[in-house]
Amino acid sequence: MRVLIIEDEIRLAANIAAALRQGAGVAVDCSHNGREGLALTEAEHYDLLLLDLMLPALDGLSIVRRVRARGDRTPILVLTARDERSQVVTLLNAGADDYLTKPFDLGELIARVKALIRRGKGAADSLLTVGRLSMNAVEQTVRCGGQLIDLSPTEYRILEYLMFRPRAIVSKRELLEHLYDYTWEHHSNVIEAHVSNLRKRLRTAGEEATVETVRGRGYRLEAPEPKL
Amino acid sequence: MRSLTRRLIVGVLLAELSCAAGFAVVAIVHEMHVRRRAFDIMLRGRADSLLGAVQDADDPEANVTVDRSELVLPAEDIYEVLSPTGRVLGESENGDARALRGLAASQKAGYFEIRVGRVHYRVLRTQGVRVIDRLENGGTRRPVVLIYGAPMRHLFREVVEAARFYVLTSVLLLAVTGAVLAWLLGRWLSPLRELALSASRVSVSSWEFAPTENALRTRELNPIILSMRQLLAGLREAFERQRRFTGDAAHELKTSVTLLKSSLQLLTMGRRNAEEYEAGLGDLTIDIQRMEELTERMLALARIEEEGEKPAEVVDLGMTVRSLAERLKPLAGAKQVTIGVIADGACLVSVQASDAEILSSNLLMNAVQHSPAGAEVRVSLTAQDGMAEMRVVDQGDGIPESALPHIFERFYRTDASRSRQSGGTGLGLAICKAIVERSRGTIAVESATGRGTWIIVRLPTVV
Repeated sequence: MRVLIIEDEIRLAANIAAALRQGAGVAVDCSHNGREGLALTEAEHYDLLLLDLMLPALDGLSIVRRVRARGDRTPILVLTARDERSQVVTLLNAGADDYLTKPFDLGELIARVKALIRRGKGAADSLLTVGRLSMNAVEQTVRCGGQLIDLSPTEYRILEYLMFRPRAIVSKRELLEHLYDYTWEHHSNVIEAHVSNLRKRLRTAGEEATVETVRGRGYRLEAPEPKL
Repeated sequence: MRSLTRRLIVGVLLAELSCAAGFAVVAIVHEMHVRRRAFDIMLRGRADSLLGAVQDADDPEANVTVDRSELVLPAEDIYEVLSPTGRVLGESENGDARALRGLAASQKAGYFEIRVGRVHYRVLRTQGVRVIDRLENGGTRRPVVLIYGAPMRHLFREVVEAARFYVLTSVLLLAVTGAVLAWLLGRWLSPLRELALSASRVSVSSWEFAPTENALRTRELNPIILSMRQLLAGLREAFERQRRFTGDAAHELKTSVTLLKSSLQLLTMGRRNAEEYEAGLGDLTIDIQRMEELTERMLALARIEEEGEKPAEVVDLGMTVRSLAERLKPLAGAKQVTIGVIADGACLVSVQASDAEILSSNLLMNAVQHSPAGAEVRVSLTAQDGMAEMRVVDQGDGIPESALPHIFERFYRTDASRSRQSGGTGLGLAICKAIVERSRGTIAVESATGRGTWIIVRLPTVV
């Protein structure tokens, strides 16, 4: 998952980015200017937009309006220093999904970010299951029939992304775009290596579900129907 | 409490009362006169009746006498009929008639007043001629003197009656006037009440001051409405400015607190090694310093604005600028910026020493911060026509024209992200402006995009 933070307070943006990387296991890009931030959203790599309300060049409300006008349905979480009711109502009506009033709690911010991403992917519960495979997005753990599978952070993120869309083909490019931020140097064979490791770990755990490679098109999480 | 309505009513009633009193006195005097004339006519009438009762006495001397059998006169009246020689031909049965004796000789014809015991009489002395035995050789003419008096009680009573009527009418009129006036004033003063009501509706949450049509059309209220409008407009502006400042200050402080909180929470999110903790604490210290600076500046601004105009000290601005430039040189050097000072000799201005320090340091720091590496910041100080002029010139990017009118506003930043990177609070220039204006000076800015910015401060010099 990849999140874009648009916040002009550079140190705060850096703090949030660090917290999200560590606490939510997501890739994070930062922008310190409204106009630049809006330009970044156009690529639609992001699974969540996190914006400050007061921004130089273009304020948060205008960004929300423009993103929604484009038909982009990426979840938006707004940080506001002013808890004026009318402003919040305007924001939500303009298409923002949630807001947090400064000063906020980083733990709460992480929880909200996770919940919004999950909802954005169409899952209401933090527990995802595909076949015998179950994933707890809060604890960031994966179990196979109750038994814990030990995954590296990147493997976990690949599996998480695929589990939100079971049986759908996800291209390597999409995985790259959604799992890595601009600070990473990404090469497509990095993904291949991680997917290969993931497969191995699932197999070792005795999991029937596996990540299939669809030649030339991408990956797919395939699981046999659970036996009744 | 004093009431205008009550005063007006009392004033009108007093005027009316004095009018009524004057009128009553005149009316009573006139009434008295009229009544007295009527009384006199009545007296003459009764005397004539008495003359009619003078009859032939049927005695050998062919005398006359008063035949009272046909006479109908009030019993209280007194009269006397005398012969020209003074012989009493007849008199009333009223005991007071005795008082008339002797009057015939002393009094001339006409009216006069006498007092018998406690009774006042008005008396008429007149002469009449009675012709008797008209059938015999033309009759005999018998002149008589009539003295007729009637008590004046009735006259007094009538006048008192009339006076009472006037007084009662006046009192009634006063009461009616008072009531009508109270009612009318109540109606006429309604615009005043409406104005008070519309004024009472004004509050900090609703500045709308809408006097009613009635109040607007009242000429006497127009100056009040006008001054109220001006007062409200001024108050509103001051209040809005204050509210904006409070809002902005809260925003800045919240942002600082948010930053501190997130830094702390991030530091405690997982196990860290000593170096990480050290780096985190270093960042926190910087954040706290920034917050400290922000608080200090807000307090400085509040202090300067609150103190108002105060008898200031005399400060040598030249010395302040020179020593400041010396102190800032290492800091400017770190940015590869040089500071050039053109300020020879003393330049005495009337500012508090601490304020002069803050003013010059804010301007110089700003200039240094906005200067690219290798640039020069120039400060010049001249004195002319009782004004000291300090120019601080940088070779930075300049300020966009649209931002120029706002740069002295609190928390205004031409580019928030850049200022935040450089650690600005957005209060420096606002503080400068407050200091300069407090000393009756001016501060102005000129800027050319890409070439630099000129800040020009003018302060009255002390001779």
